[in-house]
Amino acid sequence: MRHLRRIFLKFYLLFANSKVEAELAREIGAHLSLLEDQYLRQGMTPQDARRAARLAYGGVEQAKQLHRDERTFQGLGQIPQDTRYTLRQLRRSPGFTMTAILMLALGIGATTAIFSIVEGVLLRPLPFPDPDRLVILGDVPEGSHCASCTQSSVTATDIRNYMRDTESFSHLGGYRQRLFELSGTGEPAAVNATRMSAEVFAALGVSPVLGRTFTQQEDEEGQQVAVLSYGMWQNRFHGDANVLGSKILLYRKPYTVIGVMPRDFEFPLNPGNVNQNELWLPLSLRPEEFTAGSAASWNSRMVGRLKQGITAEQAQSDAERVAQETMRDYPAYMRSLRIHAVVTPLHEDTVGQARALVRTLFFTVIVVLLIACANLAGLLLVRAIRRRKEIAVRLALGARAATLLRQAIVESMVLSIAGGVIGLALAAGALRVGVSLLPQTLPRVNEIGLDWPVMLFALGLALLTGFLCGLAPAFAAIRTSVNETLKEGGRTGTSGSGHARLRSALVVAEIAVALTLLTASGLLLRSFEKMRDVKLGFRPDNTLAALYVLPQQRYATQSAIDEFTKTLLNDVGQLPGVDAVGITSFLPAAGNNWDIAFTIEGYVSPKGAGLNMAAMSLVESDPFEALGIRVLRGRVFTEWDHAGSQLVAMVNRKMAERYWPGQDPIGKRLRRGMPETSTPWMTVVGEVDDVKLGSRDAETKPQVYQPVTQTVASEGVFASPGELSAADGWIVLRSRMAPEEMQDTLRATVRNIDPLLPLYQIQTMEHAISQSEAPRRFNTVLISCFAIAAVLLSVLGIYGVIAFSVALREQEMAVRMALGGQRSEVILLILSSGARLAAVGCGFGLLGAVAASRLLRSFLFEVSPFDPAVLSLSAIAMLLLALAASALPARRASSTDPMLALRGE
Amino acid sequence: MSNKEKESIQLLQGTLDLIVLRTLATMGPQHAYQIATRLQQISDRLLNLNQGTLYPALVRLEQYGWIKGTWGRTESNREAKYYEITQAGQKALGEETRTWRRMSALVERLLLEES
Repeated sequence: MRHLRRIFLKFYLLFANSKVEAELAREIGAHLSLLEDQYLRQGMTPQDARRAARLAYGGVEQAKQLHRDERTFQGLGQIPQDTRYTLRQLRRSPGFTMTAILMLALGIGATTAIFSIVEGVLLRPLPFPDPDRLVILGDVPEGSHCASCTQSSVTATDIRNYMRDTESFSHLGGYRQRLFELSGTGEPAAVNATRMSAEVFAALGVSPVLGRTFTQQEDEEGQQVAVLSYGMWQNRFHGDANVLGSKILLYRKPYTVIGVMPRDFEFPLNPGNVNQNELWLPLSLRPEEFTAGSAASWNSRMVGRLKQGITAEQAQSDAERVAQETMRDYPAYMRSLRIHAVVTPLHEDTVGQARALVRTLFFTVIVVLLIACANLAGLLLVRAIRRRKEIAVRLALGARAATLLRQAIVESMVLSIAGGVIGLALAAGALRVGVSLLPQTLPRVNEIGLDWPVMLFALGLALLTGFLCGLAPAFAAIRTSVNETLKEGGRTGTSGSGHARLRSALVVAEIAVALTLLTASGLLLRSFEKMRDVKLGFRPDNTLAALYVLPQQRYATQSAIDEFTKTLLNDVGQLPGVDAVGITSFLPAAGNNWDIAFTIEGYVSPKGAGLNMAAMSLVESDPFEALGIRVLRGRVFTEWDHAGSQLVAMVNRKMAERYWPGQDPIGKRLRRGMPETSTPWMTVVGEVDDVKLGSRDAETKPQVYQPVTQTVASEGVFASPGELSAADGWIVLRSRMAPEEMQDTLRATVRNIDPLLPLYQIQTMEHAISQSEAPRRFNTVLISCFAIAAVLLSVLGIYGVIAFSVALREQEMAVRMALGGQRSEVILLILSSGARLAAVGCGFGLLGAVAASRLLRSFLFEVSPFDPAVLSLSAIAMLLLALAASALPARRASSTDPMLALRGE
Repeated sequence: MSNKEKESIQLLQGTLDLIVLRTLATMGPQHAYQIATRLQQISDRLLNLNQGTLYPALVRLEQYGWIKGTWGRTESNREAKYYEITQAGQKALGEETRTWRRMSALVERLLLEES
């Protein structure tokens, strides 16, 4: 209690200082008068009485100081004064101040910008109430070697069974995102829409801002209702409150708008900011989605909210029980499929894949900041050494160590806070530009920004760096030995060797981490180069591609679809400048393919190898020619390969080598599905080059091509009654003109055939490739930028150390020269001291690179983290830069005038 | 320095507070000069402290709320700040005295055993 009262008063008195001071002076004055009166009464002369009173009282100033120390937090009270003092000092050396502040601003700015990504993407809870209870439920197939197994998925049957039979979820629903053709309001457009169970809204726990969401009953009855995203409501309906009840056409079927979701509602949480979901529709599973091929297509996902007290593990074993039952009811043709249920926290599912990248970036930027700090500490240390004499005098006159410490730290804090404020502005600017440059593989990019946690982080960072940077000079100051320093006089030759060691250590550390970063960036650059060398398997130049999806409402029969396709191929083929045209279900480099299982005649898979998966592309006309895919053996499809003729297929080299090693694949047979699935055989008629379906650094998959006209026939039991094929595809064309110029022509041609049909994602193949390279380009560029910054800072650091030691040893150099030392010897002396620091730093740096290899390995492509060329080149570059940095002071030292030695101080 | 130490006692940490409180409790409101004089009287001039060193103790006790200072006039019609012990101060004095007695008894016992 009394302590609380005292602490409060001590704070309060910081602000009432002048009043208390006046009162104190008055009290002391009164005290002295009383003493004087006493001595006068004893018969002293007034003069003597005065003197005696002073003596008895003791030092008035000391008493005042003791009083001050006792009544307030004296250190705090001094801070404004220290700050004023510091500002005065800094104004006197603008060069130092600017360097220090800018260095910190860059360091803190970069760190803050990257931290805002860390915060927005990884740390911030998902924008749903009680997000820790939200989970993704899905299947992973046993033994399948798919790369995307982290993203579990479900079939329509799974959705029904899990929703009906699990007991661990308070809400659980399925969802599936697709492109939809939207018309009936404004221009026809492609929108991302998600079909989902009404339960998903309940699980997420977010209410609409306008209207309502659909109910589970509406979902099951197949009501055609739609909930809009805030963005779509604003853009397409201009925020009209009367939007409820209006009709929109999706694939030309009418849907009634019943609600609008809040601005920050986003689901599914897709990576990037391009594929934002714009509409939510009832899932309304149709009977055909439970049968034939759909029964075996894992094309949906499920999200649920765990019941209170149920852990993810319990939910998983609950779901596993349901999965076992589901498998028992599999139709004959799926008998060999084994699945397991997995429950993943929604947060993990969303950000898991981005974590490594974001962590590495943060780690890198922290390293840059540390180097900036080390540099600043070095600079401050130099100032402390320069002011050694002043400090010694102050210590001799009784300055307390605490005061010196406080001043040193205040000085570095003033710098770091200024740097922090500028850094925050830099970060804000960088984010404004930078968010759009982030790779589309990063989730939750819309949540990245300078919010309170980020601002607090920046401020905390500034204070922390200021404090840490201030420590070195502060301790240098209080360790100043008064006697030594004052005795040394002007002779500064060998002085401050302890400080010099500290500075050297700082520089060695800087060089070490800078080299670590430099090797990392070298390895990434080399990976990028290696990736660029990877053969795509197709020629991207002069090629244009666009996606179309024919709405079932208008193209209800196979003949209507075939009619459209024929006209399209014919019309586009006749455009001037078009050399080749074709249609393919999956576009190379776009990464939108998926794998299906195949059975290969005469091939027995090794035990435990799982299914034989391959990427399947359905083609029409000659996309091989249009995309420049080389035919290695056999032939391409012709119009004689139609629905009624013998079933044919083409394979890529990888497929051929895996299943028919050393043999000619032409004439071999394969069919869709597992061995127990009854599907007809297809004969291989051609082999083509491996094509990169996703990014270049992804592994090439076995690929199978099939004429789209033979899809239904080849599907056997997978085919559902009345199934249509070729209702969507990528049209690709190779032209003699720049593909950009062909865009409008292609659009006009399609509009001529069907004025309502939009073309989606119209792009050149070069653009598609650049998109697929974006994530690697992003981290390579960013880490290289940081590495360059780190190297520059550490070179600055080494220059600072050498230049300062040369300045201190000017006298010594002059003596050497006067005694006949050669200029070259002096240069060598200085260079070697720089080289020594650099060599030690490089040694540690290489160790650092080895330590960082684990972190880095997942980002490298066909480059070992110990690539000798990169390691040695980086080390040599670092050494050379360090030598160059010492060359300048070395030259200055060599031109020292020998007369200096004689003139002395 | 060493000579001085032999002649006078160094004040133990915290004891000054107790002495000031005790003085105010017995003598009633006093100003700093009176307190200092009283200290010298009872210590038989063994306690040779500068009168200024009283001030930190006074401000500390005031901040604890144990004493309260008001300006007044001396008999010689000089102004002076009089300190008075408060209710809380009376209570604290009791506690501090007990603590001190226990402490000094302990030290005394220790010293007896040692000798």
